[in-house]
Amino acid sequence: MDFELTTEEKAHRKDFFDFCKELERKKPASFVGMEAVFEIDECWEFHRYCVSEFAKKGWLSLAWPAEYGGSGTMMDKVLFAEARGYHGIPGVDIFGIEMLAPTLLQAASESIKKEFLPPIARGEVMWCELWSEPNAGSDLATLSTTAIKKGDEYIINGQKTWNTGAHRADWGFGVFKTDPAGRKHHNITFLLLDMKTPGITVRPIPYINGDAPFAEVYLDDVHVPAKNIVGQENEGWAIVNLLAGFERSGIAEIMGMYRELEELVEFCNKTKRNGKPLSKDPLIRNRVAELACDLEAAKAIAYRIADLQNRNEMALMDAAAAKIFYSELGKRFAFVSTDIAGPYGQVKYSPWAPVHGSWEKKFQECFVSIISMGTNEIQRNIIAWYGLGLPRMK
Amino acid sequence: MDLRLTEAQEILKKAARDFLTTECPKTLIRELEKSEKGYSPELWKKMAELGWMGLVIPEAYEGIGYSFFDLTVLLEEVGRNILPGPLIPTIISSFSIIEGGTEEQKKEYLPKISSGDLILTLGLLEAEGSFDASGISLKAVAKGEDFTLNGTKLFVEMAHVADYIICVTRTKDGTSPDKGITLFLVDAKSPGIKHTVIPTIGADKLCEVRFENVTVPKKNMLGKLDAGWPIVEMVLRKGAVAKCAESVGAMQTCVEMTVAYSKERVQYERPIGAFQALQHLMANMWTSMQTGRYLVYQAAWLESEGQPSAKEVSLAKAYINEVYKDVAQWAIRLHGGIATSYDHDIPLYYRRSLAASTSFGGTDYHRELVAEKIGLK
Repeated sequence: MDFELTTEEKAHRKDFFDFCKELERKKPASFVGMEAVFEIDECWEFHRYCVSEFAKKGWLSLAWPAEYGGSGTMMDKVLFAEARGYHGIPGVDIFGIEMLAPTLLQAASESIKKEFLPPIARGEVMWCELWSEPNAGSDLATLSTTAIKKGDEYIINGQKTWNTGAHRADWGFGVFKTDPAGRKHHNITFLLLDMKTPGITVRPIPYINGDAPFAEVYLDDVHVPAKNIVGQENEGWAIVNLLAGFERSGIAEIMGMYRELEELVEFCNKTKRNGKPLSKDPLIRNRVAELACDLEAAKAIAYRIADLQNRNEMALMDAAAAKIFYSELGKRFAFVSTDIAGPYGQVKYSPWAPVHGSWEKKFQECFVSIISMGTNEIQRNIIAWYGLGLPRMK
Repeated sequence: MDLRLTEAQEILKKAARDFLTTECPKTLIRELEKSEKGYSPELWKKMAELGWMGLVIPEAYEGIGYSFFDLTVLLEEVGRNILPGPLIPTIISSFSIIEGGTEEQKKEYLPKISSGDLILTLGLLEAEGSFDASGISLKAVAKGEDFTLNGTKLFVEMAHVADYIICVTRTKDGTSPDKGITLFLVDAKSPGIKHTVIPTIGADKLCEVRFENVTVPKKNMLGKLDAGWPIVEMVLRKGAVAKCAESVGAMQTCVEMTVAYSKERVQYERPIGAFQALQHLMANMWTSMQTGRYLVYQAAWLESEGQPSAKEVSLAKAYINEVYKDVAQWAIRLHGGIATSYDHDIPLYYRRSLAASTSFGGTDYHRELVAEKIGLK
């Protein structure tokens, strides 16, 4: 057992933190909460700026094999995520870098890897995910958007939804029914498509706070080159599982909460109510300390996942537990912070808003991590079925 | 970073698990709960042969010389099985000698602890039930080459069978409560000591110990006069981590027993473990256990490495106190009526979850320490 980082890792961690701290100075004032990237033009511009800066450093291809331009270790990737999380810095396209790249590295043909990986590493192409449909959410394999092969093309027709950032993305990866008569799980194909292809209509969906981090995507006779396939035709479900299996430790979100905890402590220290600072109120001290305990537990299991990943070991059960735990902790941070702030907890974008309105924003945004990437209920199924060996629902 | 147990730790874990499974069945645990002694001297002897009491005692004093982290690996198994008796009080109290004793004291006591010939316990809490130095009022007054102790200690685990009590006394009333605390190694059979077992939920023989003009030779002072509080803080940290490790092991059993039962118990023509409502509760239990486990590993590792650990220890203890109780109560609920029977094994854990949470600092005590450490003014 050893929680200590190596001298080299400590040095890398410092580089990541120093660089992100510098970037934070350039962050637009409107940048509150990570979804701002997709919602506000100047935040998207800032995201692209960070992407290009990270690309210059080679930090977008950490832990990739050297032949595709990679460098560094899995641990570096974790430490980089810590720095971004703590300083609230975007610049890593989660769809391209966290999801698609490891999938391509493991399952795509050599020509697909050569074509698509370098632009991801150079930060030139931003991706979105075309998975969910109006009638296929958690039970994704029931999707109905079709991709019918005709010559050397697939012709796509149907609708996708809850596509985060689809209105900003250059390319999308998605799953489509290529054999409508085939049996479930063996009739789906994983394709890559240029979002500028004729026939694609993207409409932002207003989220509960009125902003638009997501979009719905209509596909009407969209022609996609047949070569843009990952894995085998009709066997895209295996790719879905592979992609979903790149367990994320949630360390960036968790480090973001460490920052929120500091901001909450500072708010309590300097805000007076009934003639004394909130920090002197034993009830408030207790509530904030409870958040701190849970946050440390979240970090501990995230390190456990990082440690497993670092040795290329499976972390399925721990990753499901971590996702449930940190996302629900995010909700509790929002609930506790807004409650402690009293009437100010509800204020957005105003001098009256504590911490730039980030608590009000989080109160509404906390569902993003609770619901996306496999709802927490699905994560509980994963723990129960694959971890505890309980009977699977048919 | 490498968060795996070492090969030696895995061997220790496996050996402890096998030993306790055979030597400490639940029937024995129930017998011991009702017995006067509360532990099995026969089992104690076997544990000494395995080197458990001397696990963290340096080899120079006839111990095994393992680390504090190694100890927590053993204690996780102790908690997993439940082992009534003075193992934790003896080992945790022994740290006050290992880290605070003179060479002479180490030579005199540590080999005997290691061989299982000495049972130790910690006399800390008093009427207020406070883990703060301000809660200490038992007086020790110098009288020639001796000190005279007067006062009452409460919740002293296994004091009725202990050979020595590490007694935390007040030797000076001053401006700051933590100045003026002195520790003594008190022979538990000294004239003037009276103990009464307090009936508690864990049947763990917590005692009221009265000191009436008890004479303790000056050479039995541990550490310096009036400056004993840092030793108490160290013992409290180690004790809190020890209880956490034990609790993680106990949660593991609660989860395993519940999952196994839900696969066997059939209602509505299917195992109840097939119902999602119950699956999700079991997933939550596992999540609580697993998040807790790595939180405890972190605190144990820092403490073991001699790094600053006070914050991480309190973060862990406050967390574990609550999740152990919660996991244990879900274990009863998922078993249904059967687990509300005295003869069922799960209630053994449920009762101990409350005992563990009060030991070495309750939730609010540790949360307040956390509040200070995270900078709340």
